[in-house]
Amino acid sequence: MNTPLMHYLGWPVIKFLVAFIIVQVIVAAMNWIERRLLGLFQARLGPNRVGYKGLLQIIADPVKFLLKEDIVPSSAEKVAYYLGPMLPLIPAFVVFCLIPFGPPPTFTVTRVNVGLLLILALTSTGVYGIILGGWASNNKYSLMGGLRSAAQMVSYEVPFGLSIVGVLMICGSLDLVTIVRYQEVNAWNFLPQILACFIFLVAMNAENNRTPFDLPEAESELVAGYHTEYSAMKFAFFMLAEFSMMLVNSCLIVTLFFGGWTLGMFGIGLTTDVLAKMGFMGGLLGTLIFTTKVMMFMLFYVWFRATFPRFRFDQLMDLGWKWMIPLALGNIFVTGIFILAGQERLMYWIGIITIAAAAFYLFKPRRIESRKVAHAS
Amino acid sequence: MLVEYQKQKWSEKFLVLDLLEGLKTTLRELFKPKVTIRYPEERMEPTDRFRGMFKFSYDRCIACKLCAVACPIDIIYIDVHDDIIEEGGKKKKVKVLDRYDIDVKRCMFCSLCEEACPTKPKSIWLTTKTYELATYDRNDLYFNMQELEYWDDRPKYTGLPEDDSKAIEGQKQITGGVE
Repeated sequence: MNTPLMHYLGWPVIKFLVAFIIVQVIVAAMNWIERRLLGLFQARLGPNRVGYKGLLQIIADPVKFLLKEDIVPSSAEKVAYYLGPMLPLIPAFVVFCLIPFGPPPTFTVTRVNVGLLLILALTSTGVYGIILGGWASNNKYSLMGGLRSAAQMVSYEVPFGLSIVGVLMICGSLDLVTIVRYQEVNAWNFLPQILACFIFLVAMNAENNRTPFDLPEAESELVAGYHTEYSAMKFAFFMLAEFSMMLVNSCLIVTLFFGGWTLGMFGIGLTTDVLAKMGFMGGLLGTLIFTTKVMMFMLFYVWFRATFPRFRFDQLMDLGWKWMIPLALGNIFVTGIFILAGQERLMYWIGIITIAAAAFYLFKPRRIESRKVAHAS
Repeated sequence: MLVEYQKQKWSEKFLVLDLLEGLKTTLRELFKPKVTIRYPEERMEPTDRFRGMFKFSYDRCIACKLCAVACPIDIIYIDVHDDIIEEGGKKKKVKVLDRYDIDVKRCMFCSLCEEACPTKPKSIWLTTKTYELATYDRNDLYFNMQELEYWDDRPKYTGLPEDDSKAIEGQKQITGGVE
């Protein structure tokens, strides 16, 4: 069983296939979850007709996409048009090789010591498909959508990457497993890196073209953006890639800031060692914890979509360049000072105080203040 | 009108409190009961003054034709003949209704016929709480006397297979005429 071939090729492929199937089920389910939750957020019921509470929608949607007529615009650039939906899928699937779903070595597909860098490199190629698809459709709205996507990606890759740097400085490694192991011994990274965590959360919304940042597919401005001319399974591929990328980014934020598969801080609680003592079941439990955390962030996406209105394009650029990048740089600077002073534990208080203050302001009983109304003369 | 909002403190701005407030609001909305009515399975009960389908009572009608006169678009067609009946040795002339048709497809549900009706209780009324008036044929919307009186008996639309009686039992049924 432990021949080199099995060790280097067999097991990774099997593990990847298992992870891949689970991920695809989650992605398909996510489509239903999003529509249903959005409905509930907006005082309606959402899709509830097919099966129990509309659960069979998960199957009905792909079947519909498969059976629909596939229309290719006669003036489309054929090669680029077909490549468009395929390109974002490849990195979105490959990335799941690198994410540690549970305690290593059983529950990680591969352990690369620059895993984070590889994930960043792979995920940022996803935008090529969108640009190519928008360009090849020979439709001005599609082209606009593609261009917007490119501009947005350029603007938000920077704070996305910079927000991770703080974590790397604290943990001192690009290996995702090491980062998680660091977090279970010390605090989860969202405490010392609360600002980076916030920037990452915003930037990952922008990366995935989700609503407040869904300008590439803004319905009210560009018919449907880059996928205007795509129908049937090609459109489904775009959707699949988008949801897969959402899942990847949720996995990333959980791994980087929220302790991955562990459920404990300062070495107390369900840490990797405790899970290792439980054997295979412990590993499964770790994976379950990881999946739960990831699903919570997937629900965050829907929650954001239900809450925030879309940005104007200049506002989007303002936020990216004038706020996110300086804040991320400042965060790196502050983190550097703390590390230089050897007082990393003091940084926990930043997170604790920030969260406490936000909670205090948010939940304090307020008297309703009448708005000052000035009549225009 | 200019509305001046309170200026945020820097601390509130730094903590992105307005965004959090928005998230709080939507989260509260998530758990509120929904107003949607799943139509064929659940039905809305109209208010008491709702104007629905006509209901006609042959027994109460005195064939005075006032409703036909009141109708602004003349869609009530009434034919009457005189008849002589004996009541307690006296000969009495009564009007007998031959035809009472309403062309409902042209009706605007103004309820003026109901107002004009002199009998008490009214012999034509619209407050029946019925809104399922759609048909597949426009001729089906021409109602004669019997149909106006007994449309209650026709099967109601359920949106479900007819033999699925178990599902129909669980439904809220609409109420018929209100008197």
